[in-house]
Amino acid sequence: MEFLKNPNYDFLGKTKILLALSTALILGGVAYISTQGVRYGVEFSGGTQLIARFQNRPEVDRVRSAVDKVTSGATIQTYDDPSKNQVLIRLPHTSANETDLGAGAQSVLQSLKENYGANSVVESSTEIVGPIVGAELRRKAIQLTIFGLLFQLIYIAFRFGGAVWGAAATIAVFHDVLITVGLLALFKYEITLNVIAALLTLVGYSVNDTIVIFDRVRENLKQRRKEPMAKLINDSVNQTLSRTLISSGTTFLTVLGLFLFGGEVLRGFGFTMVVGIIIGTYSTIYIAAPIVVWWDSYRKKQRPATARAAL
Amino acid sequence: MPPALQNPFLLWIVLSVALAVLCYFAIRKELRLRATLYGAFLLACVVAAWPPYERDGHPGKIHLGLDLKGGIHLVLQVVTDDALNATIDDAVGTARAQATAKGISFGGARRVDATSLAVEGVEPARVKDMRDILKDFFRAPEWDVREQGDGKFLVKMTDSFVNQVRDRTVKEAIRTLERRVNQLGVAEPVIAQHGAKGDQILVQLPGVTDVEQAKRVISTTAQLALKLVEDNAGTRESLLEKTKGVVPDNMDVVQGQGREAGQPEFYLVRKEAVITGRDLKNARAGVGQNNEPDVQFTLNPGGADKFKRETGRNVGRRLAIILDGSVASAPTIQSQIGAEGQITGRFTAQEADELAKILRAGALPATLKYLQELTVGASLGRDSIRQGVIAAGMGMAFLAVFMLLYYRLSGLNAIIALSANILILLGCMAYFGATLTLPGIAGIILTVGVGVDTNVLVFERIREELRNGKTVKAAINNGFDRVWITILDTHATALIAAAFLFQFGTGPVKGFAVTLVMGLIANIFASYFVSRFIFEWVLGKRQAATLSI
Repeated sequence: MEFLKNPNYDFLGKTKILLALSTALILGGVAYISTQGVRYGVEFSGGTQLIARFQNRPEVDRVRSAVDKVTSGATIQTYDDPSKNQVLIRLPHTSANETDLGAGAQSVLQSLKENYGANSVVESSTEIVGPIVGAELRRKAIQLTIFGLLFQLIYIAFRFGGAVWGAAATIAVFHDVLITVGLLALFKYEITLNVIAALLTLVGYSVNDTIVIFDRVRENLKQRRKEPMAKLINDSVNQTLSRTLISSGTTFLTVLGLFLFGGEVLRGFGFTMVVGIIIGTYSTIYIAAPIVVWWDSYRKKQRPATARAAL
Repeated sequence: MPPALQNPFLLWIVLSVALAVLCYFAIRKELRLRATLYGAFLLACVVAAWPPYERDGHPGKIHLGLDLKGGIHLVLQVVTDDALNATIDDAVGTARAQATAKGISFGGARRVDATSLAVEGVEPARVKDMRDILKDFFRAPEWDVREQGDGKFLVKMTDSFVNQVRDRTVKEAIRTLERRVNQLGVAEPVIAQHGAKGDQILVQLPGVTDVEQAKRVISTTAQLALKLVEDNAGTRESLLEKTKGVVPDNMDVVQGQGREAGQPEFYLVRKEAVITGRDLKNARAGVGQNNEPDVQFTLNPGGADKFKRETGRNVGRRLAIILDGSVASAPTIQSQIGAEGQITGRFTAQEADELAKILRAGALPATLKYLQELTVGASLGRDSIRQGVIAAGMGMAFLAVFMLLYYRLSGLNAIIALSANILILLGCMAYFGATLTLPGIAGIILTVGVGVDTNVLVFERIREELRNGKTVKAAINNGFDRVWITILDTHATALIAAAFLFQFGTGPVKGFAVTLVMGLIANIFASYFVSRFIFEWVLGKRQAATLSI
């Protein structure tokens, strides 16, 4: 079986329209985040998150009244599949007193036991994060993402012998991360540690995809030095197209499985990967490749004789 | 995962990749040798990982993280200022005692802040003597003595000494917690220094469900001190009436329970303790004279001598038993007491039992603050495993079917390579004691995705070579040779990303990074070398004209 035999599409011809689309998506995401904000998971925002499993189907209203007896400002929602009888309760920070971090969760569980009678809590999981840890983690996550990107850029620049390749891959990755975070915000997913892990994986994946095509360009460059860069890159994209589609397609379907069947805990992770793989594949062809082409033609205009050599 | 593994782990990655590549190029022609090596390696992985989960009473070889197994995860901050304060308090005592012994009269000695103390109002004629005493007892490089004129001295701990005390406090707290957790009987606990400044402690107790008990046992400071009572009263004001509201220099006011429950009682006690928790040899829960639960303790020889001397000298006076800054009880000394005694108070049997355990394990050198707490119920964890495994299984089944349809017999090759990949991953995780978390399962799924990508890269290249009219053998050789660089580059960048994830420290994300890193390496081995070997092995026997791809 073979989907594509000797494909020959003009990818780079549509660059301008798609670039406009990408810019719109990024700006839209930034605008959405700056007005609506992003939701942080409890590990970043701090506070208490309690997942309680009940004997039978819990009534959210009764749970709420029980919780409101001991605390204020709690959010309550059913968690995961309704048949699992689970409720998620989020409490904001109640006190700055960190020796007593678990008091909120404890009193809520107590109140649920007292007020919910026979159908009471069978089991619970709590996650309590003090303000120090939350802030430290936020800082660390941003730091690590930036350093991770930087080192990948250096590696690519080193491997391909030119900063433009590294820069092109990195700009493409920034593009992917920005759009994905925008979509995460739009679909009200919380930024949790798992989502950060998915974002960093997506960074790796997107760079991976870009390298496969760049490698092909490098290989073609050796034999076809005289040809225009645009044609060379377009051919390289076409030559690797079949691999790109199959690899992205299969990975996409496995993470789609994760998104659909992995349960509530992995849902944010799955969503990030599902979206990220589509965008990561797209950005290789329409962001990273055109940057190299433009840089090449820009250099040619500046210094026609040495341009190719410097790439 | 054991802390010792964290840095050697990255080294191991580099070494094993280098070794695999070297081995391959050294023996690429020797099919039989390669078969033996690959087979032995895979067999070792099976042995290492079997049984992967708990089975017939044998513990599983793959460690499950708290999110899968259930249990408690705590991050505690050691309030190292406590230890500094205690050091300064000791120093104040020394300065006062020495000055008094030498007959120097002075206005007072007091703690200024956590790292310095002041001696003031020294009589002018004896300033030099005072200076000598201070210089003698508070030497460099740990202390810095400064004379500020008017008979005033400022004694400061140096920065290096402060850091040393802080570090020692955290280490001591960790040792104490280890002893306490041992008494809880938790299997595979993790207790480790944590945080950027190293003043945090990470405690992971897999399988523990009674959170409240665990937290009590962990965070009770358990500073025990038995001090002589000078006076007691119902309020602080009436207690200090005789001294006009001022607490004497060598005394402390400690609050405790009164005779009636719920009523506070204030005690004026001597600052210097008769014995402290350090003098204990053993402690156990028992039942006292009135059938009330109590804690019975035995003193070590040094403590016993002191206790005997002081109780003998103070028969008829009351002795306050102070636990973490609060008087538990203040019995009257009936007669001289030797090496044994009881702590009574209004304990329940369980409280007495916990207190005995905590006293046995020793006191914490400083208070602990909770920064983070995560508890997972055991069955919620099992649910997560089931869902993760279902999702992973479905993904893999889909991939297998697709590869067979799309690449026919070569697809079978890819499936064998993928199975080897997962086998190696599990074997390495078991061997290195890495922990599988829920994101870790996601990491395995991703590994499978990357593995398929490697196969697809190679297969597509082989097809291309075949289209260009190459023979089967040449197509396979060219295909593998040409994508090698690509695979190296893609895996290197992915490893860079994974290495940074690894830096997140503990918890689920680290589990993800661990599986990803091991998976990427297993992948190079399985999807490139094993897969290539299978092609060469199968096609080596007959000079095939066509390839099922």
